[in-house]
Amino acid sequence: MDQHNSANNPQSIAVPLEGGGTGHINTGAKPVDSGDRIRSIDAIRGVALLGILMMNIPGFGINWNFWHGMLTGPKTGADYYTFATVFTLFEGTMRGLFSMLFGAGMVLFMQNKESMPGGPTVAEYYYRRLLWLVLFGLFNAYILLWTGDILFFYGMLGMLLFPFRKFKPKWLIIIGLACMSITLLKGQLGWNELREQRKNYNEAKAAEKEKKTLTPEQQGAIAAWTEMEKNRKPDSTYYNPNLRIRQQGTYGKIFNHFIPMNAGGETWWLYHGAWDMLTMMFIGMGLYLLGFFSNKLRTSTYLMWLLIGYGLGIPIAWSYVEAMFASTKDFSGYVDSMRVSHEMLEEFRRLLLTIGHASLVMLVFRSRIVPWLMRALANVGQMAFTNYLMQSIICTFYFHGYGFGNYDKLRFHQLYYVVGSVWLFQLIVSSIWLRYFRFGPFEWLWRSLTYWKRQPMKK
Amino acid sequence: MSSTSPTTTGAKPALTTIDSNRIFSLDVLRGVAVLGILIISIWEFGGFIANEQTFYRQGTHSGGNYKLLTVVSILFEGKMRALFALLFGAGIILFLQKKDHPSTASTADLYIRRNMWLIFFGVFNAFVLLWPGDILFHLGILGILLFAFQRMSSRGLLIAAIICTLIYCGKNYWNYADDKKAYGKYKAVLKVEEQFKKDSTDKAKTDSIAKAKDSIAGKAITPVITDTTSKKIGKDSTDKKKDTLTKKQAGEKSAWEGMAKRAKYDSTATENEYKSMRASYGKLWNYLMGRSQGKEASWFYRLGIWDLASMMFLGMALLGWGFFTNRFSAQKYLLIAVLTMALGFFLAWLRVDLLNTKIVDYAKYIDKKPIPFNQFVPIERFLLATGYASLIMLLLRTKFLNWLWQALAAVGRLAFTNYIMQSLICTFFFYGYGFGFFGRLSQLELYLFVIEIWVIQTVFSIFWLRYYSMGPLEWLWRCLVYRKWLPIKLKQDETAIA
Repeated sequence: MDQHNSANNPQSIAVPLEGGGTGHINTGAKPVDSGDRIRSIDAIRGVALLGILMMNIPGFGINWNFWHGMLTGPKTGADYYTFATVFTLFEGTMRGLFSMLFGAGMVLFMQNKESMPGGPTVAEYYYRRLLWLVLFGLFNAYILLWTGDILFFYGMLGMLLFPFRKFKPKWLIIIGLACMSITLLKGQLGWNELREQRKNYNEAKAAEKEKKTLTPEQQGAIAAWTEMEKNRKPDSTYYNPNLRIRQQGTYGKIFNHFIPMNAGGETWWLYHGAWDMLTMMFIGMGLYLLGFFSNKLRTSTYLMWLLIGYGLGIPIAWSYVEAMFASTKDFSGYVDSMRVSHEMLEEFRRLLLTIGHASLVMLVFRSRIVPWLMRALANVGQMAFTNYLMQSIICTFYFHGYGFGNYDKLRFHQLYYVVGSVWLFQLIVSSIWLRYFRFGPFEWLWRSLTYWKRQPMKK
Repeated sequence: MSSTSPTTTGAKPALTTIDSNRIFSLDVLRGVAVLGILIISIWEFGGFIANEQTFYRQGTHSGGNYKLLTVVSILFEGKMRALFALLFGAGIILFLQKKDHPSTASTADLYIRRNMWLIFFGVFNAFVLLWPGDILFHLGILGILLFAFQRMSSRGLLIAAIICTLIYCGKNYWNYADDKKAYGKYKAVLKVEEQFKKDSTDKAKTDSIAKAKDSIAGKAITPVITDTTSKKIGKDSTDKKKDTLTKKQAGEKSAWEGMAKRAKYDSTATENEYKSMRASYGKLWNYLMGRSQGKEASWFYRLGIWDLASMMFLGMALLGWGFFTNRFSAQKYLLIAVLTMALGFFLAWLRVDLLNTKIVDYAKYIDKKPIPFNQFVPIERFLLATGYASLIMLLLRTKFLNWLWQALAAVGRLAFTNYIMQSLICTFFFYGYGFGFFGRLSQLELYLFVIEIWVIQTVFSIFWLRYYSMGPLEWLWRCLVYRKWLPIKLKQDETAIA
């Protein structure tokens, strides 16, 4: 209802801006004003925030053995089509978009503030803000029980971005690509090692066939590869307890169950996954400074990036999904045949599709074909932090045993009904909330903690 | 836990008086810490690995080797790293308060850059010089994390240090509680087995137990714990027809047996380690990769952050109070030194005692002792690092042993250079691609080697500072931070010393 209203009275909607002031949205064909530019970032952030749930929902709601079944099963049926669509078009891209906007937001935060003489500098507020973000991330992972939390990583990695904020966009993008090449290099080194293992195994097996006595190294090679293959198979001793605990467990039980998972995940991703996130953050900073997210580029430029992003990204993504099937069905054969893993395409695919998505949103935004939707998305984006945590709260409660206990009870495609409901809920609630308040509740809390002073909330 | 309100920031007289001239006492303490850190790291450099220490601890607890190990452990283990971190924390505030940086960039920029380069040097130390014991990486990251605390009052910083210390204690207990749980499960399984034995009247049943035992022995390496078969143990023994252990029970049994075995000395483990460490550079690079990554990732996440952050907070607090600038009265330094050392040494003795119990009889340690041996390690090092610092502050006042303090201050001014130099010398002396002395020196010989390095580093530092205003790596670091070539020769620029 609220949405309906706002769609009818677009001229009079006062919009709280990032900096704290208020601007007005004009739906007429006027040149982009400052309020509008910031709204474009909010709209993209809203898209990313809602989109991220598409990728997270399997983590919230379906047991791990699903993947193996999916990737070895028949390529038909609602589950398969949902899987193929979501993974071709969106896998990693919403996270990518979110990371880009985080990088952009970091520059924005530093630009908007002026420090009082004698008081804490902008840099200090920046680091306090991120330290709180790290704590919110830990809260999201360990207390709200969402093992897929990203706030922790953003808080930590954001601290590394600070000295780069004044770099030229070109250099930021080059640094981003350098980070990407580190991911690629690490990936290829790992792949080479795997192929080496496989080669040793093949040689040992050949020797065994010729009835030669095997050296201890050869025996080891056979054992190592057999073990590796065994570990790739779904292991019921691993996923059955997970199913039981998450579907029926009390809060305490699930809390304990998640501690090692959270600790392991945060350690591994922060140390080994940092490059992947930094890539997107640096490129996001560069693109922001070029005006990409603030609707400053020409329509033809956005169109070009849309075509490049989707034109190259979608075919690569499709081959990547196909490779997922191939490598799950016959991993050894896949290792034998591929000198370079499809994982290497993953980074390019993500970057291309992410830029494609961003261009699409910008084009829709400036074409003004669905202004009400863009406004609603911008509201969601303005409360991105609240909405992100809300997704954890809603989904863990819906799926976990201490809530409704729907874990692993829905089929894969049915999970997306949940996604749709949460989207609708967040679009509506965000729009209503921002009519009365300046920030989302968690944004307000975060700001108050950062400035260590209660911030005004009501409009 | 995070930041103080902006209004309290003006009231920090202790910091504004610190000028950019070097603080002599800080240099001395840095010198002590950087030389002292080698007393413990030589264990890992030279091959006196934990397994070998276990060998002496599981014996009769007499003999020179055991005594030397115990004394070194009580006096130095963990304390020198703590002192190093404490001084690094004090350095944070000094750097941020400094007004005459030779650059137009903001202090925040310089500070973060400086720490990011330190992270880089740490990665270099770990992955190029192949020293998995590196802590520069961790100090650099914590330097960035603690940036936001620069305006906190000394009291607040001390509270933060204590909180970190307590979390560290809690984590140590937590790990121990897991072991305790594993032992409880093991005992329950043993009871079930007893029950089987009593119940067995016909031969078929005893056969099945033997079979179960075989399967346990076979699965000792990879305990398989299945949940589908899990039921209450008591229920199992009465309801189930088959008197064999379930997979879960077998797993629980072998899990504990594995733990107990790992606590014991294992001569083949030592041999394997020696063999691996006497390899070529390429092989060692591969071999130590996992170890360094473990230190930088999982050790840091679980323990390292509390280990180092607690001491850094304390260092920041002490600097604010003027501890390093002789603000305290002699009595106060003495009182701090006596109290902290009395309690600290008691806790250290308690640790060694519990550790000996652990090694001699792991089951007894887990079963009978209420706390793990490392329960108070965080407090022990907190106290002793403070105590040592106090003692040295006091001695510095008396002007006693002035030549020694001058020499140590020179070492301390080149702390970064000397720290990296230790990696260079030790890896080359002990690793396979150098002289390959890993595991070939006795404990006593290792310490003779340490003393030689001390002499070399002290002489080097004194001579270097006759001609240059700062150490070579200090100079490189600064040039990278300020993004320009700074003068290094003495007399050209005296302000660059700070």
